[in-house]
Amino acid sequence: MAGEPLILPFREVAPEVRRRERSRRIRGVLLIGPAVLLVALFLYFPLVFIVQMSLTDSDSYLSPAGPVYTLANYAAMVGRYLPNVLVTLQLAALAMIVDLIFGFPFAYILVRRVRYRDVVRAFMVFPMFGALYIAFGMRFILLPGGPASPLFELLGIANTSVLYSLPSVVFAMAIFTFPFMVLNVGAALSNVDPTLEEAAACLGAKPRQTFTRVLLPLTRAGTVAGMLMVFGWSIGVFAEPLLLGSINEQKSLAWTLYQRGVVQTDYGLSTTMGVVLLIFAFVVSYLSLRYSRNALVD
Amino acid sequence: MTEAMDLPAPAAKRSRRRPVTRREVVLILSHAYIWLILIVFVLPFLALFAYSLTGPGGEYAIENFQYVMGSFSENLVWSFIVVGLTLVLDLVIALPAAHVIVRYSFPGKRLLFSALTLPLYVPGAVIGISLVLVYNFTYHLTTTVWGLVLAMVVGSFPLMLMPIVVAMRDLPIVFEEASECLGATRLTTFWRIVFPLIGPGVSAGLMLAFIIVFNEYLVTLFVHPPGITTAPLRVFNLVRTAGLLPTTAALAVTLQLISFGAVLLFFKVFGTRYLKGTYLL
Repeated sequence: MAGEPLILPFREVAPEVRRRERSRRIRGVLLIGPAVLLVALFLYFPLVFIVQMSLTDSDSYLSPAGPVYTLANYAAMVGRYLPNVLVTLQLAALAMIVDLIFGFPFAYILVRRVRYRDVVRAFMVFPMFGALYIAFGMRFILLPGGPASPLFELLGIANTSVLYSLPSVVFAMAIFTFPFMVLNVGAALSNVDPTLEEAAACLGAKPRQTFTRVLLPLTRAGTVAGMLMVFGWSIGVFAEPLLLGSINEQKSLAWTLYQRGVVQTDYGLSTTMGVVLLIFAFVVSYLSLRYSRNALVD
Repeated sequence: MTEAMDLPAPAAKRSRRRPVTRREVVLILSHAYIWLILIVFVLPFLALFAYSLTGPGGEYAIENFQYVMGSFSENLVWSFIVVGLTLVLDLVIALPAAHVIVRYSFPGKRLLFSALTLPLYVPGAVIGISLVLVYNFTYHLTTTVWGLVLAMVVGSFPLMLMPIVVAMRDLPIVFEEASECLGATRLTTFWRIVFPLIGPGVSAGLMLAFIIVFNEYLVTLFVHPPGITTAPLRVFNLVRTAGLLPTTAALAVTLQLISFGAVLLFFKVFGTRYLKGTYLL
């Protein structure tokens, strides 16, 4: 159990060593205790709580007669609310694809060609401040009379057909999650020796072949991790469909969850949506961490 | 991806006469691509910034920012109170936890670390709904600011933990051993030796937690006590109910500028080494 190997010069010191060992162990428990208590009380217990609540009917959890246990909420998720689940998955998948298409070349150029990386980092901080500001800003840009309206007039399309549409939602989501993709792909690419590409070129490979036969296989883990991370972050999308989407995109699970739970107090259904979101997020994050080989602890 | 490493000989000969080779064109296009994406990144911010400086008749006006100091000041003050309390709690909890994770070895450590950093991967709406229900039915925390603060702490604590763990792992244990051999108590060793040496990691954690908590509107929307509206939540409410107003844009711009200032300050003082493994490269 000891952290560092102890070298015992004499047999006699063993009891003292054991005593110190025990007090060190107690200290360790006390030091990590607050953190464990925090996540236990404010993450794991609430999550168990909503799993339990998702098995009760509507707001029967509060009724004096006691909660009515039912699976109806889960039946509704694959029945009446299946479109909501599918829209959420569709939005996340599209954001992931957009990020991959634009993020891979971006990460490549950033790692191989760009010397002003700190400037790029400073710019890339902006999406981190939150999807709310991105959605707000894009809504302003796309509104009739906004900065983009001359462009729309030129192209002869109505502002609102772009503003309240799937592409604008996906675009805002992609901006928000873009840094995650670049981070993962960039980390994978910086581990690939540039001489491998030069060797491929010297051996007569065309750029496209170098890409598909050398770069892509070598960075697959990072790319997959980035895609999964983007997907996991996009699954709880909230502000973008609300501010930029049509009725269809506003069916996204997180927003529906808020309306059913907080506005209409249908706790059973709302927590069920929470559990579904949670399952998606966990599966995706687990796979992502497995691929990215979290190197912080070992 | 690697354009034009070696062109066929005749083409190369022909291109030598032209002032711009294909390689240079590719290089220029690559940089143009980087800048295009970066501009797209800041475009929503720039648009809001321009809008926040627009008066009622479309003329230039700085008055909107007076609202930020005026009727929005209450929201800003709440934001700073919540962020301040959250950061203090984050630090108090994360420092000892990081020490145990780095300096102790025990079975299941990896699992414990994953369990502690799991809040990062739970969608905000799920944290929000689960906490608001638990606050209502079990903890009775709905009317105090502490409910909100603790919700922020659980969400941002992994961001504090990770850079500190990175910094402590980079710190050889010999400093602590030397200090203890020279008779310092454990607390003295920590405050005089370890804490100053992991300073950059601590600052990275503080910066990350600050910008996430300061701009959090989603969890706040669920768990905010009646009467307490933080600035980002105010932005959200106003965008939802009042449509687009230059004053709302001014508040959003102010929040982003404060966040950006924190990031720039950090970059200037510490660089980016300690942000590895977190959001930023």
